[in-house]
Amino acid sequence: MGKIKSAIITAIIVAAVLVLAFFATVSFPMAGTGGVDKYNSFIRSIHLGGGLTGEAHTVLYPEGVISSETYAYNTHDDEEKAKEYAEKYEKRGSVYVEKDRLGDDENAFIENVKNDVKILNDRFNEKGYSSYSVSVQDVYTIRVTVPTNFTYAEYKKYDSSSRSAETGKISRTIEYLSRSGELSLRNTDVGSAGNNNILTPLNADITSYFKSFKKYSSAKRYAVKVNLTDKGSRLFEDKTNDIVTNASSDKAVNFYVGETKLISLTVDSAIDGKNFYITVDNKDYAEDYAIILDSVAHGNTLSLDYGDANDIQIVYATPSFGEHAAIYLGVVLLLVLLGAVIFSVVRYRKLGLVNALIVVIYALALTVALLLIEIQLTVVGAFAAILGLALLCGSNMAAFEKIRSESKKGKTMQSAVKSGYKALLTAILDLHIIIVVASLLVTLICVGAVQACGFIMLIASVASYILYWFTRFMWFVLSSPARDKFKFCGFKREVPLDD
Amino acid sequence: MTNLKLCSKMHVMLIVSSVLIAVGIAVGLICQFVAGGYFNYGDDYKSYKSVEVSYAFVDFSDEDNVKDICDEAFKNAKISYFESSYGDTSLGGELVFKFSKTVKNEKLEAVAQEITQKLNVADTGLSNASFHEVETQLGSEKALVYGAIAVASAVAFQFVYFAVRYKLTMAFAALLADVHNLGIFVSLLAITRLPVGSAAVAFAVLTVLMTMIGCCFYFDRVRKNAKNEVLSKLDSFELCDLSVRESFSSVCVSAVGFAVACLLVFVLLSISALSVVGVLAPVFCALFAAAANIYGTLFFTPSVYSRFKRIGDGFKADRAAKVKKS
Repeated sequence: MGKIKSAIITAIIVAAVLVLAFFATVSFPMAGTGGVDKYNSFIRSIHLGGGLTGEAHTVLYPEGVISSETYAYNTHDDEEKAKEYAEKYEKRGSVYVEKDRLGDDENAFIENVKNDVKILNDRFNEKGYSSYSVSVQDVYTIRVTVPTNFTYAEYKKYDSSSRSAETGKISRTIEYLSRSGELSLRNTDVGSAGNNNILTPLNADITSYFKSFKKYSSAKRYAVKVNLTDKGSRLFEDKTNDIVTNASSDKAVNFYVGETKLISLTVDSAIDGKNFYITVDNKDYAEDYAIILDSVAHGNTLSLDYGDANDIQIVYATPSFGEHAAIYLGVVLLLVLLGAVIFSVVRYRKLGLVNALIVVIYALALTVALLLIEIQLTVVGAFAAILGLALLCGSNMAAFEKIRSESKKGKTMQSAVKSGYKALLTAILDLHIIIVVASLLVTLICVGAVQACGFIMLIASVASYILYWFTRFMWFVLSSPARDKFKFCGFKREVPLDD
Repeated sequence: MTNLKLCSKMHVMLIVSSVLIAVGIAVGLICQFVAGGYFNYGDDYKSYKSVEVSYAFVDFSDEDNVKDICDEAFKNAKISYFESSYGDTSLGGELVFKFSKTVKNEKLEAVAQEITQKLNVADTGLSNASFHEVETQLGSEKALVYGAIAVASAVAFQFVYFAVRYKLTMAFAALLADVHNLGIFVSLLAITRLPVGSAAVAFAVLTVLMTMIGCCFYFDRVRKNAKNEVLSKLDSFELCDLSVRESFSSVCVSAVGFAVACLLVFVLLSISALSVVGVLAPVFCALFAAAANIYGTLFFTPSVYSRFKRIGDGFKADRAAKVKKS
């Protein structure tokens, strides 16, 4: 390759990397908005785990239980109320419980709280959070903690609209998943008027109608997929037929949990299949509805009532690793990258610069992938990214060392590179096939933080294999103008005695 | 590393690994009956005690003053929390201080009362502190179960792939390396009683992936050396030792990367969290993963594989002799 061609290709690639690096790392006010709107860099827009941007927690108080704060607030400077509360409530640790709830039924009440924790634990488990906990707090209440899933921009409130959207999602999820009551199907026109317009027979077991509720998405359209049993299929055919023929104003099957309507299936014609879809606005709605409906359809109903959405106060706490943990983790990743760059430059001179460029491209590729696929980055996810980097550097180093040993046999640089890469062809391919398949299995099977780790490794291993070959291309491009190609690589040519 | 001779030391490796795994199992089983779990289920599964301090902006303008009051009260009571967090509420803010389960309830209740008194100087009744006991369920079992299924499937795939592309003896050795390294990692978690959460499950998966990377580099070298006319004449011990030396840097690179990252995470996140305790779990998990990988892949596996190879070669030679005889 000629000097000019080499310079042009190098300039184009370096310019592309620099532009991408600029947008990946620099945030700036948008022109023409007077500094109101801000462009948030790729790094600022990656979703981060609970340890880095904090967790949201709330305490669910069953009916008849209030916190000591509420008690103190309501009785402060109000003697009449203080007297009323003293008669009504009894102190139990840090909470106040209505005296009616205590006595003989107290143990049953405590047992109900414990059972509800198990059911809530199962429901939140389905969300696939990187970390969460559902705990019994002070025997009578339930504490729920979930990760915020904020991006750095949302966490620091640089992007308040996105932050509101995220907090909205969290509060809606907690509100829906902590719904009490049984599942019922209702219609105001054809349902039983004396029984809350319920469609199913009075003595019917609702759980026998449904196999499962699943979230469903296709081409950015989201729905809840309802799978019916044979009995459920017959019921839906019968009832939807009834609605089509006899209903005048309410043409829907309404799904209620307790006394709250969750979703409605609008009926245009009778449903005679074993499954159907109820369209919803977005994937979060689909997921939340599917989880709560699936839980109650299998008889997992909460035995206590935890008040309505207005009673739930969610606190967004600072991260357990400290307020600036995300910045510090960024510094760690940057230092590891820098270490890889310095090591390769020291060991392989100008060839090390090729590896440095590849390492930067790897970092940018991973950043873009995390941003686009919305993978949540946790501390352990950062270690997965480092393992991916090690895979890339290990592959490149193996190639460099092989070529060094080939060059010691007296071969020309071109011949050494050719035979070196040829000798490692199957080894590197085998290595990447195994890691790609293993990561894919982890991604498909696991949930939460482990799944995110698998996903990061999957992207990292694919990127590693592509960049391994790109290294060879860049080596060829960058070393073309060099007169002494051995010096370029920091290798020494051993001239055989025959020469 | 030019004189690294590991294969003759298989018995030492076996003893070290067996002792480590046996101690891990023993500690785990004892703790299962005495301390409530094979592992110290911390992180997502941790039960703890806490003092929650709610304050109103009418009483205090920012959380720093409140935190100072709380810190002083804790200091006077001679108790220390392992984690603290702050969050906004509708009236002001909330500070949560988490304590281990061993701290006595009376002490925490007394401190909470003391803080409430100090916060209520203005007598608005809006700021107060309360003591709580939080009993966390063993949540996220799904992460553990699904993680185990995924690792088992990945290891099975690697075994089949190695059996097809490499040799059956190498497939068995790679399988052993995965199981061994995971066993060492799990044993270290059980022995050190490090808090186990979904992050530990993720690190267990990374340990297996790291082992797979190391095995690919190592067994490729063995395969190449066995095909070499000169090297193939070497004894299986010498061939395995030579392959270790040649693949040493490639196998080490991931573990070294992990170790460097561990050190950086430990230093920087400790500064960020203003506490070492909270950072210990991910740092030690990563360190255990790196240590298990280096020891297992570079020391244990080659020494065991050299025997596998010797048995395989002997079997092959016997069969060849029989064929020749017949």
